[in-house]
Amino acid sequence: MEFEELQKVWDTQNNQPLYAINEKALHNRIITKKHQVIHIAGFTEWLLIIVNIAAGAFILGMNFMNHNRLFIYLLAAWMFGSALYVLASRIRRIRAHRFDRSMLGDLQHALAAAKYQVGLSFIMRWNALPIALLVLLSIWESSKPVWLALVVALFFILVAYASRWEHNIYKAKKQELEILLKKLQQEESAAC
Amino acid sequence: MTVQEQQHIFKQWLYMYKALIFKIVRAYGSTAMDHDDLFQEISIQVWNSIPTFRHESAVTTWIYRIALNTAIRWVSKEQKYRNTNGTMESIPDILFQQNIQADEQLTWLYKAIHQLDEIDRSVALLLLDGFSYKEMATILGITVSNVGVKINRIKKQLIIQSKKFNKNGI
Repeated sequence: MEFEELQKVWDTQNNQPLYAINEKALHNRIITKKHQVIHIAGFTEWLLIIVNIAAGAFILGMNFMNHNRLFIYLLAAWMFGSALYVLASRIRRIRAHRFDRSMLGDLQHALAAAKYQVGLSFIMRWNALPIALLVLLSIWESSKPVWLALVVALFFILVAYASRWEHNIYKAKKQELEILLKKLQQEESAAC
Repeated sequence: MTVQEQQHIFKQWLYMYKALIFKIVRAYGSTAMDHDDLFQEISIQVWNSIPTFRHESAVTTWIYRIALNTAIRWVSKEQKYRNTNGTMESIPDILFQQNIQADEQLTWLYKAIHQLDEIDRSVALLLLDGFSYKEMATILGITVSNVGVKINRIKKQLIIQSKKFNKNGI
């Protein structure tokens, strides 16, 4: 068959749609799904900001009223700093370049979001290290038993594993988008 | 824009362009459940896009763009889901198959399109629906010459396959 014949075969479906639509069910589904949309990047940012501020404020208050220990003050300051960093990143992300609505623009937009998510999860993963260190130093400063320090250290090791797993999910998503983008652009050089 | 206005436009678009969406749904999904699921995804994206439509392009181009962008992303998400959960088969509840006699040539053509990768499938659909190189370049966001290179390759591929199909005697 020549291409024109293929096109004729293709056009045979124009006057007889394959499906009928249950419009009521579709409308209900759209309304339900509209409210379920959660933007992962936005959700993660708010979670990090709220958790860091709440935890920082809590330990600051407790330390101020009861112990007055230096490392706990440093820990609270670090958490406030982390929240501020995430807030600044969020503002930068929202102000960032807008993409057009072509397939390339859509993929570039999705890729920019995925890259941001990968970067954020990478930073937050390593952010657990200074927090762990400050927590352990504050345990040492307050002369708490060694087993407590070991339990806390174990907890932070588990956190590191969990955040590596999360980070890898975002990385895989980013790679998929990169492959799609490459497929779309792959013959660009041949065309020039 | 009020929800009523949005709904009115959506209904109108759905009535006028459902055939276009069905083609994309059929080209990207394999089972009736796939078609139902992808149709829902595309419908949601089209619904959400209505307030941002500025009449800078034809409605057909706009819907094609949204539907293709949704479909190529849906494919990778769906493949990943299948790899971890096996095939998913349940009863579709939005789309109901009409009583139409299956066209063997058309079924074959969809199979041939299915064998292309996600991006080439988009190009093939636009090509078969008669979009110009310039319109395709706008929808895909690539240069006209790149569209040309892709089209040449896809056309050759489809013609070779059609010859095999004819040779096998259907």
